[in-house]
Amino acid sequence: MNAIASLVVFASCLLATGAQAASPLKLWHAYRGAEEQALEKSTKLFERETGRAVELLALPYDAFAAKLIAAIPHGVGPDVFIFAHERVRQFARMGIVDPVDGAIDRRAYFPNTVDALVVDGKMYGYPLSLKCIALYVNSRLVSRIPETTDEWRAMLARMSSPKENRFGLAYESGDFYFHAPFLFGFKGALFDESGRAIFDTPEMAVSLAFVKRLQDERLIPEEASGALVKTLFNDGRAAMVISGPWFSGEIAKSVPFAVFPLPRVSETGLPMRPFLGVEAALVSARSTDREAARKLAKFLSTGEASVVRAVSAGHVPADRAAYDHRAVREDKLVAAFRRAAENALPMPNTLEMARVWEPMKLALQGALKGGVPPSGAGALADRRYRALYRPKPERASGVPYVVLAGLAAALGLYRARREVLSPELFSKRYPDAARAARYVAPAAAGIFVLVFIPFVYGAGLSFFHHDSGLYTFVGLGNFVDILASRGYRINEPLSFYFTLAVTMLWTAANVVLHVVIGLSLALILRDPLLKLKGFYRVVLIVPWAVPNYITALIWKGMFHRQFGAVNGLLQALHLEPISWFTQFSTAFAANLVTNTWLGFPFMMVVCLGALQSIPAELYEAAEVDGATSWQKFRNITLPLLRPTLLPAVILGSVWTFNMFNIIYLVSGGEPGGATDILVSESYRWAFQRNEQYGFAAAYSVLIFLVLLTWSSFTKRLTRGAQDASS
Amino acid sequence: MSAVSLKGVRKTFDGHAVIKNVDLEAQPGEFLVMVGPSGCGKTTLLRLIAGLETADAGSIAIGGREVSALPPRDRDVAMVFQSYALYPHMSVRENLAFGLRLRKFPKADIAERVSAAAELLELSPLLDRRPKALSGGQRQRVAMGRAIVRQPRVFLFDEPLSNLDTALRVQMRGELARLHRRLGATMIYVTHDQVEAMTLANRVAVFNQGEMQQVGPPLELYHRPANRFVACFLGSPSMNILPVRREGAVLRGQGFSVPVPEDLGDASSDRLLVGVRPQELLICRDGMMSGEVEAIERLGFDGYAFLSTPAGKVAARFSRDASVCVGDKVGAEPVGDAMHVFLEDGRALRHPRLSSH
Amino acid sequence: MSGRGWIKTAAVHMLLALTCAATLYPVLWVVKMAVSPLESLSLSANPFPQHPTWRNFAAIVGAVDSSGRWLFGRNLLASLAVSTGTTVVGLFLAVTAAYALSRFKFPGKQAGLQALLISQMFPATLMLIPIYAILQRLHLLNSLGGLVLVYSTTSLPFCVWMLKGYFDTIPRDLEEAAVMDGATHWQAFVLVVLPLSRPALAVTALFSFMNAWNEFILAATLLNDATIFTLPVALQRLVGEYKVEWGMFAAGALVVSAPVMALFFALQKHLVGGLTAGGVKG
Repeated sequence: MNAIASLVVFASCLLATGAQAASPLKLWHAYRGAEEQALEKSTKLFERETGRAVELLALPYDAFAAKLIAAIPHGVGPDVFIFAHERVRQFARMGIVDPVDGAIDRRAYFPNTVDALVVDGKMYGYPLSLKCIALYVNSRLVSRIPETTDEWRAMLARMSSPKENRFGLAYESGDFYFHAPFLFGFKGALFDESGRAIFDTPEMAVSLAFVKRLQDERLIPEEASGALVKTLFNDGRAAMVISGPWFSGEIAKSVPFAVFPLPRVSETGLPMRPFLGVEAALVSARSTDREAARKLAKFLSTGEASVVRAVSAGHVPADRAAYDHRAVREDKLVAAFRRAAENALPMPNTLEMARVWEPMKLALQGALKGGVPPSGAGALADRRYRALYRPKPERASGVPYVVLAGLAAALGLYRARREVLSPELFSKRYPDAARAARYVAPAAAGIFVLVFIPFVYGAGLSFFHHDSGLYTFVGLGNFVDILASRGYRINEPLSFYFTLAVTMLWTAANVVLHVVIGLSLALILRDPLLKLKGFYRVVLIVPWAVPNYITALIWKGMFHRQFGAVNGLLQALHLEPISWFTQFSTAFAANLVTNTWLGFPFMMVVCLGALQSIPAELYEAAEVDGATSWQKFRNITLPLLRPTLLPAVILGSVWTFNMFNIIYLVSGGEPGGATDILVSESYRWAFQRNEQYGFAAAYSVLIFLVLLTWSSFTKRLTRGAQDASS
Repeated sequence: MSAVSLKGVRKTFDGHAVIKNVDLEAQPGEFLVMVGPSGCGKTTLLRLIAGLETADAGSIAIGGREVSALPPRDRDVAMVFQSYALYPHMSVRENLAFGLRLRKFPKADIAERVSAAAELLELSPLLDRRPKALSGGQRQRVAMGRAIVRQPRVFLFDEPLSNLDTALRVQMRGELARLHRRLGATMIYVTHDQVEAMTLANRVAVFNQGEMQQVGPPLELYHRPANRFVACFLGSPSMNILPVRREGAVLRGQGFSVPVPEDLGDASSDRLLVGVRPQELLICRDGMMSGEVEAIERLGFDGYAFLSTPAGKVAARFSRDASVCVGDKVGAEPVGDAMHVFLEDGRALRHPRLSSH
Repeated sequence: MSGRGWIKTAAVHMLLALTCAATLYPVLWVVKMAVSPLESLSLSANPFPQHPTWRNFAAIVGAVDSSGRWLFGRNLLASLAVSTGTTVVGLFLAVTAAYALSRFKFPGKQAGLQALLISQMFPATLMLIPIYAILQRLHLLNSLGGLVLVYSTTSLPFCVWMLKGYFDTIPRDLEEAAVMDGATHWQAFVLVVLPLSRPALAVTALFSFMNAWNEFILAATLLNDATIFTLPVALQRLVGEYKVEWGMFAAGALVVSAPVMALFFALQKHLVGGLTAGGVKG
């Protein structure tokens, strides 16, 4: 026991990297490339000036907010972090940012940047830069800047050539951030008078139709990701790009470019108005040295840091004094974006704004890829909006639940009483109990703390509603909402039953393919006379050795509409390339292919082992009896494989049922959440839809219950198999 | 001082009494065989002595020292398992040395003892092999060698020969007897094979259903079984037991009667059992009883016929020149004083007087 | 060989070769991306690179942070420490628990075995938030030690089941013989049972190591310090939703996968025996 304890202590000493003395200030951000370098330069300046060290941590943009929300309340977050203003209200409500009022001179910044950071009269954070998107043009390919959309479209048509994979314009058309300028240019609005988001408007339909036409005429690429846009522009295969200042750092040195405001919409005469974002340095409410943290945030937002940011990363500083510097005043990029920002529409920092993204993503995908007419896409978004932002369930009284739990505990104690009360009987019945306890204790302790408690905690969470750090007890409210499929039709993605059906189809299809492929290969490889057997076996288990998130990303790349190897193969066979993630069937197939590739080696190895354990005499006996190969397989191999195969199949089905990585990374639930399985759905509720932890936990509990039912059903199967084999 | 002494030992498993109050002593240098049908508790008793199980009650002493509370390693006993239990990942040499190494014997000492044991068991050429590469008999010898090197006070054997074929078993039986003479150690040996019991033992203890039925020298048990169980268990074919009723000067059974032996004591009941060993019941034209031959076992020198008589199934011997066929109606006659008499509850009342040999 | 036999053999080899090609194709694709000079993506089915370059590898391996610390080296070290730690701690926990479950009778044993299986059914999302809170209590957030504990317990159920299955196949006689030879129970376990379980131990260790080496969701959530990021977390930055650097990612993927693939192939001959005798037969 001592050995165990000291081992644990030793291990944790070895591995723990706790807080250091006179700790450096922690600054988190999601910058990359030139922006990251500019930030590093500024913090170096700060260190030199104050002597206080700063530790930077760059995080992936899509994980940044979730990480902040998790880390800061637990006291392991940064002192200062850089974030766009649109989440400030949420952060303030969660109490993870500190107001900065006393220490700031509001007049030093552009007023709109200050306004963006004000929540209920208090200002949170130091504005760093203004961000909006504008039009990048490759100066070598574009000589004239379009003034209106009509003119623009005519230019694009001349510059595009679908055959050569050449496009007049490239931008991330599936992202609402990039679509917003079109919407606003067509006079659209996103919120009604009461402040609620609206989607189903004629302006929305017109703006979507406009973009759809660009795509149909092959003037812009389909399914463009940031990486694709960058590649196309750098390769000279996109003459123009809509993007923000960060894009300048991604452009290859050999490509000459210039930046201009977006054109005017011919139909309305209005300029295309992008969202205006304000990036700010926010001080964590849990910073241990708030004084120094404020100093750092202020330092980053003013003076030399602003100049550095402007000059080397193309930021448009919010700090007015920065423009006193010649270098900033004369920087073309800064000037261009400052001009573009004049038309920009400040993005509201309300919760309502945060709720717009997912429905709009669905609308854009529906209209651009999913065959939904542009006029119907708004309604689609509206329905999704209502589904996602369900009203909070009624607050419930905890008393009945506590009473029930108490009764259950009492019953349990009553049943355990006999063993506890008669120690003699106990020691006689279990002579090894003390020794067993010593052996099991370390594992049991670990499982108790890191599996059991989290499970109980998580299950408990499912009785609560979570909103910005506030938990309300709602009893079975979450379950009722899920099971009653409130807010969406039963046969619609996002309905529990739809997702359950998809999950079951997913599990069944995978397990069948794994077993069929694995077993067939094992049967072939079993042949003792087969040459090159070792080679085949080693090659065939390669997929098992590859980390599955890497597998998932590789296959996602291979299924890419324009540049994926799968479409390359189809083209080589003179078939039409497929847009894999726009239809349920093909997206599901893509997931399935990936997971089959990933999973068949396990079954193959299990089958190989199981086949080895079948005595050869049985086959010889069957041969004597004149059995055909099929009869031998049917009457000997299959029944004798059953006891080994069945547990593997059950375990495999449980794993597949919860196979988050593949779904999340390959199809990402596309189209519109249709290929999401229960686990990925639960993940989305927890981390992508306003941190509805309680609702997500209820989903997880339901997953658990489904699997529990499945396992008690299979337990009977296994028992049958064991009886049959013995 | 006895080598092993058990007093009032009891053991239950899951509420099922496996050992019921056993008293047993083994003298130093004695070869004690515990025999009985499977499930009679003999192996459990051996494991209790070894320390692999803990008794519920009673005392176990080895060499005069109470060991009930001691782990096996402190009891100074060695055990040979039915399956041999050789460590597959060690060579023969390592298998033999394992116990000594655990006891931190000096290296030279270990080498010496291992080679001596190997010599004794003719294992020297096999020392560097793994158990997988040995024959059944060789494995058996390694298992014994592993016990021998330790030079324990008591050797325990748990049916060590039951996995061998007949010829090898006979050979190993001889070697075991030789080993016992050579080492002079106390050996306690569990078997269900009465031939092993009869040929190896100084004394035999017969067990049934967790109780010791009788203990004594093999022939004593054979000739003077304490009860019906012992009488039937030892000897093959099994002793014929026939129910009789005492009627004055005769014991009358179904279809036969015999005179009451004069040394038969008084019994509380008239209902008795008569026992005759098949070896002492000879087939003849007509004898004490008669019946139809149902089956025959010819063993060469002589043979046994199994008769169906009004009193029940009876086995009897015939000599090699007798012509007996299945279906014959024959008689059977005891040879001399061959009559065992048991009470209805099985206790022995009388044994034949041994003829002078 | 008869004509028909020859055709059959050819067909079998054709089938296997095709399957192998399908298996290797994505891997070759990654290699191609990793060694392709620019991040030039083009629609082509050819998995072989045209103008190989090591630039992406150099960028991955040579990564340093603003204060000049060699990040790749630190990340590699962190990955190694976490994976080795997980293997050691996880194996220790699994081996002892599995042995007790295989050999001893104690109250709650059946329930415990069931619970182990059932725990495989908890969705990870349910656990993520509570684990975060618990590690905070234990002051193990943002530490590799915390990660080791989480990994070793989460992979425990599978390891225990597999090892228990294997231990069940080892005759008890051997331990009793060892005990008779003078071993304590612990010695019998360590000197006899464990050496005999080598195939199962190898496979279990392999799984624990792979699990820890490949995991990134927990690592990305729990670690807040770029110098102790594990390799997959470092890699994750290259494939953000908004910018994917495929060449770098592919090179990184190969660098990350190479050690576990090597380990995997070194131990693969144990897979068949270790896995089927144990885990699956349960």
